[in-house]
Amino acid sequence: MRYLTIALSKGRLTEMSVELFEAIGIDCSELKSSTRKLILLDEKNRIKFFLAKPADVPTYVEYGAADIGIVGKDTILEEGRNLYEVLDLGFAACKMALAGPADLQGKIDELTIRRVGTKYPNIARNYFERTRRESVEIIKLNGSVELAPLVGLSEVIVDLVESGRTLKENGLVVLDTIADISARMVVNRVSMKMENERIQKIIDGIRAQLLLRR
Amino acid sequence: MSKWKIYTPDGYQDILFDECYSKRELESRIRKTFRSYGFYEIETPTIEFYDVFSSDIESFPQEAMVKFLDPKGRILVLRPDITVPVARITATKNKDVQLPIKYSYIGNVFRFNEIGGGRQNEFTQVGVELLGDSSCESDAEIIAVAINTLKAAGLEDFQIDIGQVDFFKGLAEEAGFSEKDIAGISRLIDRKDYVGVEELVNRHNISKELKELILKLPGLFGSLDLIEKLKKITKNERSRAALENIEEVINILGDYGLTKYLSIDLGMLKGPDYDTGIIFRGFTYGVGFPILSGGRYDSLTSTFGKDCPAIGFSIGINMLMMALGKTLMSKDRPGVDSLICYKKTNRKSAIEIAETLRKQEMNIETMMVAGSIEKGLEYARAKQIGGVVFIDDGGRIKVHDLVNNTVSETSIETILNG
Repeated sequence: MRYLTIALSKGRLTEMSVELFEAIGIDCSELKSSTRKLILLDEKNRIKFFLAKPADVPTYVEYGAADIGIVGKDTILEEGRNLYEVLDLGFAACKMALAGPADLQGKIDELTIRRVGTKYPNIARNYFERTRRESVEIIKLNGSVELAPLVGLSEVIVDLVESGRTLKENGLVVLDTIADISARMVVNRVSMKMENERIQKIIDGIRAQLLLRR
Repeated sequence: MSKWKIYTPDGYQDILFDECYSKRELESRIRKTFRSYGFYEIETPTIEFYDVFSSDIESFPQEAMVKFLDPKGRILVLRPDITVPVARITATKNKDVQLPIKYSYIGNVFRFNEIGGGRQNEFTQVGVELLGDSSCESDAEIIAVAINTLKAAGLEDFQIDIGQVDFFKGLAEEAGFSEKDIAGISRLIDRKDYVGVEELVNRHNISKELKELILKLPGLFGSLDLIEKLKKITKNERSRAALENIEEVINILGDYGLTKYLSIDLGMLKGPDYDTGIIFRGFTYGVGFPILSGGRYDSLTSTFGKDCPAIGFSIGINMLMMALGKTLMSKDRPGVDSLICYKKTNRKSAIEIAETLRKQEMNIETMMVAGSIEKGLEYARAKQIGGVVFIDDGGRIKVHDLVNNTVSETSIETILNG
């Protein structure tokens, strides 16, 4: 039997993904031990795991280097890869939002925005081009995006909002919700067909687990 | 100056000896298959007017096309595919030719792609197009050619998924979706995004059965008995006709003996404007992308001024080579049978021997050496030539067998007489 390869996002999604796979009887012990190995095995189920930077997971899956991936919807939207998005895992839920200074609240439709700071340039561009039909300058930042409107780098930002606390503490508010974000299971388009039985079993197993926990 | 001189542009590649040899062998096997079904080969220009590829119903985004201007300021493109030029030809130069017309092509196409994973900006596409026949027979014939092409290429484990865009279009009509919703939902279904499909469907007030069926669409793929099950729960005429179309095509492919390669995917919706009936894709292990893609596009030729049903498929040779992998490279390699080394004084007989052997379908190289044949042996080893023949004074000939590491003597006459 061929190995099925699963790419997990390194970081906050790892623990919950591992827990779900264990709940459906996949052995992740090698993954949990502090090893330096990059590829970890469950020999019994013929499954390979590896951890990758979240932004790389859709790429591994699109090219078929991994059959299945666990990754946030934010990364899926940003990377724009051609893959099957088969399951909403529900955890790591938050929103992709347009945010800015509190005095812009309610004026979003009259406002002409010129500059947008974000870690997600593709999501921001799509939102402004397709939803708002505006041409804006997207400024790509790599962290602490909330800083941008405070120091006058941009008027607004596009960023993930979880509790909204960081925004609030800096005098910013959510002006519009762009998308609901949570962890998703993605599958390579060819693997879904060529290994349908095994992959479907994993999807069904995890779906049942998610229902149990609701 | 010329600081890019030693590089090739991103996405454009040199194809060297072994790979080029395998590629040509592969192309010739494919060409033979196409001919065996009566598809005649054509060439279309590498450069076409931008307008050819920019009608409302074809699916090339302008940012994917390599563009430049002609001296009159008109926009030109490097062709992103060969199907559209075939439609152009059918509606113009071939408009009075007896239908059906069967085309085949092997040519390079150009697209701004993301680099990597076998997807180049320039790649070779092979394909066939059957114009002027809208029957299930022609649907099945094209799929049969597709399957037999992959088999002729040496691929064993592969699967052809068959879909039918009218199945979805019928359901969308029944549900009363707007054009915009249809575009949106077909993209979601094609991505198997159950969450997105549900969100969109919930915005419409439609019957419970219809809603359930649409929600199931992303998962409507699998074995051939799916069609029978769906026929029982499908109400509208258009969707039912789509199912009957697939059923009949599968029956015909049964007569070809090719059923084992087939499966169904009714959630496959590539571009809803371009495709008009049956569509199909080919998959295999080890390649993360479809290696083959085809379908019916009955409305394309009308944009060039003639209504004519059409169906075809294309294969990216590079993808296919990736799928064939090492088996291909080890099977098809260029080779030279012998290297003939000679001293200047023996040149005439060396050339005579070489030419005689070449006429006997052998691949022969020659090399003049000064005294010893060491230089010849070294070259032969590097190029994996099996034997080195040294023509010495007085007609004496030494044959170095580099495979078995032996040396034997013979005469000119023996060599020339086989």
